[in-house]
Amino acid sequence: MVAEKKASPLRDLSERIKWYGRAFKDGDIYTKLSFFVMGLSNMARGQIVKGLSFLFLQVCFIVYLILAGIDNLIGLYTLGTREQTKVFNEAKGIYEIIKGDNSMLMLLAGVTALFVVTFFVIMWGASIKSAYNAQKLKAAGKKLPGIIDDIKSLFDSNLHKLLLVIPIIGLIITTVLPLVYMILMAFTNYNMTHQPPGKLFDWVGLENFRIMLMSSDKLGYTFWKIFGWTMIWAVFATFSNYFLGMFLAILINSRGIRFKNVWRTIFVISVAVPTFVTLLVIRIMLQEQGAFNILLKELGFITKSIPFFTNATWARVTVIVVNLWIGIPHTMLITTGILLNIPAELYESARIDGAGPVKSFIHITMPYMLFITTPYLITNFISNINNFNAIYFLTGGGPATLDYFKGAGKTDLLVTWLYRLTVDSWDYCYAATIGIFIFVISAVGSLIVYRRSGSYKKEEGFQ
Amino acid sequence: MDRTITSSNIKYYRLVQVTSLILIANLFLPFINLKEKAVSMSAFDIFLKSLQFLELFGDNKMLGIIIILTVLSPILTLLASLLALIIPKKPVLTISAFSYLFSALSATIVLFTVAKAVNGSGLLDTAFLVKYLGTGYWLFLILSYVGLTFAMLTIRVSPGYIVLTILSIIWLIPIAWVIMISFREEPGAYTSYFFPKKFTLNNYVVLLTDTSKFHYLKWFGNTLFVSVCSCLLTTLIVLSTSYTLSRLRFPGRKTFMNILLILGMFPGFMSMIAVYYILKGLGITQSLTALIMVYSGGAALSYYVAKGFFDTIPRALDEAAYIDGATKWYVFTRITIPLSKPIIIYTMLVAFIAPWCDYIFASVIMGDKYENYTIALGLYLMLDRTNITKWYTRFAAGAVLVSIPISILFIALQKYYTASITGSVKG
Repeated sequence: MVAEKKASPLRDLSERIKWYGRAFKDGDIYTKLSFFVMGLSNMARGQIVKGLSFLFLQVCFIVYLILAGIDNLIGLYTLGTREQTKVFNEAKGIYEIIKGDNSMLMLLAGVTALFVVTFFVIMWGASIKSAYNAQKLKAAGKKLPGIIDDIKSLFDSNLHKLLLVIPIIGLIITTVLPLVYMILMAFTNYNMTHQPPGKLFDWVGLENFRIMLMSSDKLGYTFWKIFGWTMIWAVFATFSNYFLGMFLAILINSRGIRFKNVWRTIFVISVAVPTFVTLLVIRIMLQEQGAFNILLKELGFITKSIPFFTNATWARVTVIVVNLWIGIPHTMLITTGILLNIPAELYESARIDGAGPVKSFIHITMPYMLFITTPYLITNFISNINNFNAIYFLTGGGPATLDYFKGAGKTDLLVTWLYRLTVDSWDYCYAATIGIFIFVISAVGSLIVYRRSGSYKKEEGFQ
Repeated sequence: MDRTITSSNIKYYRLVQVTSLILIANLFLPFINLKEKAVSMSAFDIFLKSLQFLELFGDNKMLGIIIILTVLSPILTLLASLLALIIPKKPVLTISAFSYLFSALSATIVLFTVAKAVNGSGLLDTAFLVKYLGTGYWLFLILSYVGLTFAMLTIRVSPGYIVLTILSIIWLIPIAWVIMISFREEPGAYTSYFFPKKFTLNNYVVLLTDTSKFHYLKWFGNTLFVSVCSCLLTTLIVLSTSYTLSRLRFPGRKTFMNILLILGMFPGFMSMIAVYYILKGLGITQSLTALIMVYSGGAALSYYVAKGFFDTIPRALDEAAYIDGATKWYVFTRITIPLSKPIIIYTMLVAFIAPWCDYIFASVIMGDKYENYTIALGLYLMLDRTNITKWYTRFAAGAVLVSIPISILFIALQKYYTASITGSVKG
C-alpha cells in the first residue's frame, strides 16, 4: 500500500515549482524549448503522436486567445462599458435600440475563459513533465513508450485517469463552472435594477454581504428572520423525525409484533410514492376549502376552516407535521438495520439485571443509536436546511408578508428564498450571497461530521 | 391451547375487570353537554330517549346503531370479564380482549359519526359539534383503549398493535384519498363534501387518450427515457469515481476528495440559472438531452455511499489478481463489479427515481415546451389556476399512475436501498 504523504497545499505547490525549475536547468535544448513549444521534446525523441497532440493543443489555445479569450478576460474585469441606448432614427421616425454590452454574458464568457486558461496551464505542466521524462528515459537508454503503450497504461497504471475523465467533465460543466459563475455574482450588483441587456452591472466587492448581514435594511431584516426560521425548521424537522422514526422502528421490531414486513411495507409505501406527489396532494387536502377541512366540518369537529397555510403559525406547524409524515418512514427504514445490529447479549444481560424495556431503551438503545448515527443526524440537519421541496410544494413559502423583502413569506427557508430571488425578482446577486451563506453553514456542519466519521479517521481500516 | 393464565398476567387481568366496571359507570356520566342550552345527557338517557322515539331508528339508522354500540360495548366487556372470572382460561380471556376491541372501535366510530347522526335525528335543535361531547364520552373513549391494552397484555399480545394500526391509518389516508379522488366523477378541485357521490373510470381514460391539451403518455415516455439514460450515466460516473477514490492511489487523491466534498456543500440550485445559460450556449435548452446532462452531470458528488461499499471489499482479492498478472482494468471490471451488486442496484434505483421526482431543474430547463415535459412538470401544470377545476381529478389519476411503478420498484428493491444507506450511515 502506498502511504500518502501528509500533503499541505502550500508546500505541495512550492515543491512543484522547484521541480519545474530543476527540469528547466537540467533539461537539454529540446526540453528547454518544450517550455515554449509544447511537445517538442517528445517529437524529437520519437513520441510523434504524443508530441503532435501537445503542439496541436497549444495552437488551439493561442488561436482561442486571439479570437476570443483575451477579450473575454478583459470583459471579466470590466463587465461591460457600453450601456444599451436608444437613438432617434430620423429617417424612420422611431427610436432604435443600439445594442450595448451584456454584463451577464460577459461574466459567463470570462469565467469560461478562466477555465480554459486553467486547463491549458495544467496541460502545459503535463507536457513539460512528459518532455523531461522522455529526455531522462532516453538518457538511461530505455525504450520510450509509444502511443499504444500510453493507451494500454490507461487501463492499468493510469486507470484513475480513464475512470475520472467523464465524471470530471460532467462536474465541470454542470457544477463547477456554474458555481464559480454564481459565486462571482455575489460580488456584483446584478439585481432587479441592473438587468442586462438593458443595463450593465458591475463589481461591488463585499457590499452585498454587508447589506445582508449587517445593515438594518429590509433585506437584512428579512435575511435574519428567514435564517432564524430555517434553523428552527431544521432542528424540529431533524430531531422529531429522528426520534419518532426510531420509535416506529423499535415498535415494529419489538418481540410481540408479528407480520413485521407487512407493517414495514405500509409505511414504506409513503417513502416510495414520489415526494412531490404526496406534497401536492397534501397541499390540496389542507386548503381552506380542501378535503381535510371539509371532513372536519362534516364530522362536527370545527365550524370554521383551519387556516393551515394562510396563518403564519399554523403554516409553520403544518409544514413540520407534514414533514413528519414524509420523514418518519424514511428514518424507520434506515434505523431498522442499525437496531438489528445492536448485540442481543446487551439486552439479555440488562434483562437479567432487572431492567425494563424503558430502562434498556435509555441505557442501551439510545446511546448506541446516537453514537452510530451522529453523522447521519448532522447530514440530515444540513439537508433539512436545504429542504426545498417540503416548503415549496406545500406553502410556496407563504403566507407572504409585507414586512419581508419583496414577497418573501413566513415559511420561506433560505433556499426557497434564494429560488424566489432568482426566478421571481431576478435579484441574482442577493441569491448568490444567500447561497454562499448556506454553504458556510453546511461546511461547518459537514466538517464536524467528516472529522468525526470513522471512515475519515481510519479509511484503510477495513481493507 | 388451553393454558391457564400465568401469574404475570393476573395483575393486568384484575385491571381489565376494574376497567369494565368503570366503563359501565360511565354510561351515567354526561355524554352530551351543552352548557348554553343547559342540556346534559348521559348515554343511558339517550338510550331511554331513543326507546321512546322508536321511529328515530326508522329515519336515522346511524343514530340507532351508535346508541346500541355505545351502550352495548361496556355491558359486553363486563360480561366477558365476569365470564373470565368464572373460567380463567385463555380462550375466555381472548373473548374479553375482543369485547374491549369492540368497545374501543365503537367509541372511535362515535367520535367520527356522532355529529352527522345527531344532526340527522333532531335530538338537539342546534347543529351538533364534537366539542359538545361530555366528560362521560371522553372517559369512555380513553378507558376503552386502556382496557384494550390491559386485555392484550393479559393474553400476551403486544399492545403495540394498537399504535401501529392508528399510525397505519394516518399514513394510508392521504394515499387512499388520492386514489378515491382519481375515481371521482364530479370534477372540480374543491367540493363541499368529502366522499365522492359517483365513481368512474373516465378520469383515467381521458388522461391517457385526450392529448389535445396535456399529453400524459408522452410525458410518461419522456420521463422514462430521461430516467433510463441518466440512470445508466449516473451509475457509470458514480461507480468509476467511487472505485477510483476507494482503490486506486494517485497524486492529488485526497485533494480531489476534498474538492468534491466542498462542491457538495453548495445548495444545488444556486447554480441553476448559470446551468441554464450554459445549456443555452450549447444550444440544447428545452431538450431531454439537457435534462439527462443536468441529472447525471454532478453525479460524482454522491460517490460517498458507493466508496464506503468498495472500502469493505477485501483488498486481498485485488492483490491476488495482481500477482496473477491482471491489469487494474481487469480487476475493476471482472472482480470488483461482480461483487458490487447491492451498491449498483442502490445507485441505479436512486438515479432512476430522481427524474420522476424533480420539478425545479426540469421547470427551469423546459420552460413552456409542453411536449418535452416530464411527469412532475406536467402534473404540476394540471394544478395551475386555470386548469385545476377541469383537470383536478385527472391529476389524481395521473399521480396514481406514476406512483404505482415507482412504489413497486422501490418496495421490490427496498432491501438494497436500506442496506446501502445503513452501511453509509454507520460510516
